[in-house]
Amino acid sequence: MIRAYNVSKVYENGVVALKNVSFKIDKGDFVFVVGPSGAGKTTLIKLIFKEEEPTEGYLVVAGRNLSRLRRRDVPFYRRKIGVVFQDFRLLPQKTVFENVAFAMEVVEASKKEIHRKVPLVLELVGLLDRQKAFPSELSGGEKQRVALARAIVNNPEIIIADEPTGNLDPDTAWDIIDLLKEINLRGTTVVVATHASQIVNTMKQRVIALRKGLVVKDQERGGYRIEN
Amino acid sequence: MKIRTFAYFVKEAVKSMFRNGLMTLASIGAVAAALLVLGCFIIITLNINYIVSDIESQVEITAYLNDSLENDQINDIGREIIQIKGVKEVVFVSKAQALEEFKERLKEHKNILIGLEEDNPLPDSYRIKALTPEDVGFVAEKVSSIKGVAEVKYAKEVADKLFTITRWIRIIALGFMAIFTLVAVFIISNTIKITVFARRKEINIMKYIGATDWFIRWPFFIEGMLMGFIGASIAISILMGGYYYLLKVLYTHIRIIKLLPIKYFYDYAGYMALAGAIIGSLGSTISIRKFLKV
Repeated sequence: MIRAYNVSKVYENGVVALKNVSFKIDKGDFVFVVGPSGAGKTTLIKLIFKEEEPTEGYLVVAGRNLSRLRRRDVPFYRRKIGVVFQDFRLLPQKTVFENVAFAMEVVEASKKEIHRKVPLVLELVGLLDRQKAFPSELSGGEKQRVALARAIVNNPEIIIADEPTGNLDPDTAWDIIDLLKEINLRGTTVVVATHASQIVNTMKQRVIALRKGLVVKDQERGGYRIEN
Repeated sequence: MKIRTFAYFVKEAVKSMFRNGLMTLASIGAVAAALLVLGCFIIITLNINYIVSDIESQVEITAYLNDSLENDQINDIGREIIQIKGVKEVVFVSKAQALEEFKERLKEHKNILIGLEEDNPLPDSYRIKALTPEDVGFVAEKVSSIKGVAEVKYAKEVADKLFTITRWIRIIALGFMAIFTLVAVFIISNTIKITVFARRKEINIMKYIGATDWFIRWPFFIEGMLMGFIGASIAISILMGGYYYLLKVLYTHIRIIKLLPIKYFYDYAGYMALAGAIIGSLGSTISIRKFLKV
């Protein structure tokens, strides 16, 4: 589903974010990408999202070579990927329902479809009763669940979560991880960038560890600690 | 584009205008203010033009006719003059009329003219008005070449001077109009840039969800257009109301100055509304460009 071939990224200011990174994530995988701040996690996500271009190497995601993807095709490619951020990125002036519906409006779904699908995903994330609330009225965990609902509403092939639990207390964090795992069990590939070591250690999923732009570990059923 | 999608864009644009109420007011205010100034200049310029061409057309050419002409010949000359390009108006002044006018001009000294009625030495003449002062020289030349015309006189210097002055007034007014149009576009695109900047998060999220550039652009485009149109409408209402009042005051108190009637500006009001809409939509399209590069 995601393949990186000798990917390097050097920013214009000379910062080396990724060095010769290669990996393969298969369809239906659940993968943690771990590492300290500045290890290159966010850069990797930006590359997958084609927000940045690799300096060397290339990525193939959902059957597309991203280096050959034309600019006008980028939006359609992105619709295959759902994204969740640490800071939720909800629209404050839209209700919970509208925030999720927004993602469907963008892909020009019909009103009927929107009204059928949005309650379904809100039910899945457990927020059906809060659909008329505004983000400011929600707790951190609830906000992240709205973001998750928005990410999955268009049936993406991949969910990418960048520090999804970074702003949440441990219990709430687990709720989100459980939800991600549930989404994964329904067949969606899930990639979670995090430095929540406890979660990673408990989940016993595949772990790709980055440090200073290098892949220092790629382990099935791995833990957070980097042995070197 | 699907009609449903377009309806969605319009709805989003209107919603966004209400949600960003203060910025919307600022943008509309900027459009209104800029177009108000521009409109004032248009009104002033057009009226100066109007007054000036009124003065210009008062530069008269007088063609004195030979003494021995028959009535038919005199009429022929009149017909020939009216056919010259650039002639606006031709009036025949007979010997007798000329004498009367002369008497009037002399007022209390008119006694010295007594007795001239029997043997009037003044010739018949045609008084000719040209369309523009530039035409005066040419018309005068043409008229003097007509058979039966003895002499042609016109205030050449006055015509030339007026021509120079009016040309400069027009150039200066046009220059001001151009400057104010630029200022208006600048203010508007900047105000809309602030609106767009305030919503950069939203644009960013749309990009991440997989919205196409045009999908993101349309609501802003429509919003800009609406704000420009509303701003222009406000400016037009104030200008029209103000001008109507001005005409009323001038008409009742100072009758000498004749300004353009208000209906003359109806077309301009339409253009201005259109200009507002174009400026607004252009401004928003320009402002959003930077934020689409994600």
